[in-house]
Amino acid sequence: MKAIRVQHTGGPEVMELAEMPTPQPKATEALVKVAVAGVNSIDSQFRDGRLRTPLPFIPGQEGAGVVTAIGSQAKTVKVGDRVAWSGTLGSYAEYVAAAEAHLVPVPQSVNDEQAAAAMMHGLTAHYLVHDAHKLKPGETALIHAAAGGVGLMVVQLAHAIGARVIGTVSSDEKGELAREAGADAVIVFTKQDFEPEVKRLTGGKGVNVVYDGVGKATFEKNLNVMRPRGMLVLFGMSSGPVPPVDPAKLSDKGSLYMARTTLAHFTATREELIARTSALFEMIAQGRLNVRIAKKYPLADAAQAHRDMEARKMAGKLLLIP
Amino acid sequence: METVELPLPQPKPNEALVKLAAAGVNFIDVYHREGRYKVPLPFVLGQEGAGVVTAVGAEVRSIKTGDHVGWAALLGAYAEYDAVPADRLVPIPAGVTDQQAAAAMLQGMTAHYLCHDTYALKRGDTGLVHAAAGGVGLLLTQMAHNIGARVIATVSTEEKSKLARAAGADEIIFYTQSDFEAETKRLTGGKGVDVVYDSVGKTTFEKGLNILRPRGMMVLFGGTSGPVPPLDLIVLSQKGSLFVTRPTLGHYTITRDELMSRAGAVFGMIAAGKLKLRIEHIYPLAQAQQAHRDLEGRKTTGKLLLIP
Repeated sequence: MKAIRVQHTGGPEVMELAEMPTPQPKATEALVKVAVAGVNSIDSQFRDGRLRTPLPFIPGQEGAGVVTAIGSQAKTVKVGDRVAWSGTLGSYAEYVAAAEAHLVPVPQSVNDEQAAAAMMHGLTAHYLVHDAHKLKPGETALIHAAAGGVGLMVVQLAHAIGARVIGTVSSDEKGELAREAGADAVIVFTKQDFEPEVKRLTGGKGVNVVYDGVGKATFEKNLNVMRPRGMLVLFGMSSGPVPPVDPAKLSDKGSLYMARTTLAHFTATREELIARTSALFEMIAQGRLNVRIAKKYPLADAAQAHRDMEARKMAGKLLLIP
Repeated sequence: METVELPLPQPKPNEALVKLAAAGVNFIDVYHREGRYKVPLPFVLGQEGAGVVTAVGAEVRSIKTGDHVGWAALLGAYAEYDAVPADRLVPIPAGVTDQQAAAAMLQGMTAHYLCHDTYALKRGDTGLVHAAAGGVGLLLTQMAHNIGARVIATVSTEEKSKLARAAGADEIIFYTQSDFEAETKRLTGGKGVDVVYDSVGKTTFEKGLNILRPRGMMVLFGGTSGPVPPLDLIVLSQKGSLFVTRPTLGHYTITRDELMSRAGAVFGMIAAGKLKLRIEHIYPLAQAQQAHRDLEGRKTTGKLLLIP
């Protein structure tokens, strides 16, 4: 099969298209023919070695496709099922062997592109607004990088709940996308300091929650735009890691809460994974959650996809088509 | 600290003059006295009291002369009289004495916000309470028990363990004899607890993160062993997408409504016999020094009051 291979870690150029053996599913795995593979920032972290895995390896954590073979003990899927997954390294390929526990069934009303995009980004957005901080109607949320893959989903889900959404974006064009997704106010952070602007927009009160996948660049100011007992949910650090935080700062700034979350802890059980994906797929099928595909690339152009992702020009989901 | 004759304070238009029946002694008083928390000198110590209103300012409508009231988080209670903003005064209901009110304002409201708001405990949750035989600890243990949560309590001595048990602790860990991390894991079958209530800080914080279940909450509400060093946030995700907060009472009694409902809930529990206050020692005002020595010696297991 054709796959993207990384033999040593580094920049996007270390990803090369290669002919590799088609994997054999183990007893509780299924072999899936990949229709689309999702591109995520975690893929960059494996590629450049910030996250470690034995070399050589095939990058990619997520995708959607059709089951073509199952292991001897696989019970929840059968050949011919349409499935989607995340958390399975090796997805930048024509075929991937995935643990059946990671595979979720995709309903007919949801296409492969939507399904792949709903996995890491959709699941992340879902746990952020429903669990990390359970948003209630009338609350105000600040979402950074609101036109990014997770951002556009968070904005839509938060808007659907009835919360007021303030989004930060890097350009007017992205601001328009965030507004279309349901953002009530947009701050173009390249033109305006978000701290005074959020204070102004909230009449000095601050927001109930900040959803932040940016990290270092936004952290300190986040603490100044939350109302007392507000929650900062840090779910990524695209600008770099946040320096260690003195807990006393949380009380000084208003008995604040802080969490550093990862998706795995919010899909720890099969029930939870299925409940979240079902909710997302239903919203997609009903047209209440719009999946924006920023760009589709042939598998061979994985390096370009990473370059585009890292340049932060893209709004929405990047997909590879094997 | 010395007892002196000072002019009687005059209430401003928004204040009431209260004749104190009792003032509570708290660790924050020690910090004010030492200068760890800065206050302009000279000053009258004390953050908590209860008594009878003897005069009100021209704009005060919410209370009147003769009312029994309690308050917290305002300096000046180690005195015969204190002028207090009326919107910080809470009426004391029948069934609650002034001494009980003075003993419950800070620690009772603290325990209340910790288990009802900071992390709203539910029946069946498991909470670890450090220093469970301390002032807040005993109240928090009772409230958590009343909610129906399972309480794991850390204490230092056999005597304190009896107090924690009587308050409703389901499990006791003698942190001086066994490692509370290993012991809590054992007691929860490896699952960990939903929430850790930690007023100890430096010596307990790190291990506290290891005994939380995924998505559990660390509530750091004090630092009697010293301040917790800066925290690398990646630790929170590595240990299970954990939540951390560092609350203070002021942010949980911001509005008059919240102050009234919180104090009202605490007084209601006292009057109904559901919350037992342990008033350990009552000192005359002139013995404030001794009260501080006893508090700092950590021999006390209940509330200390000063009576003017």
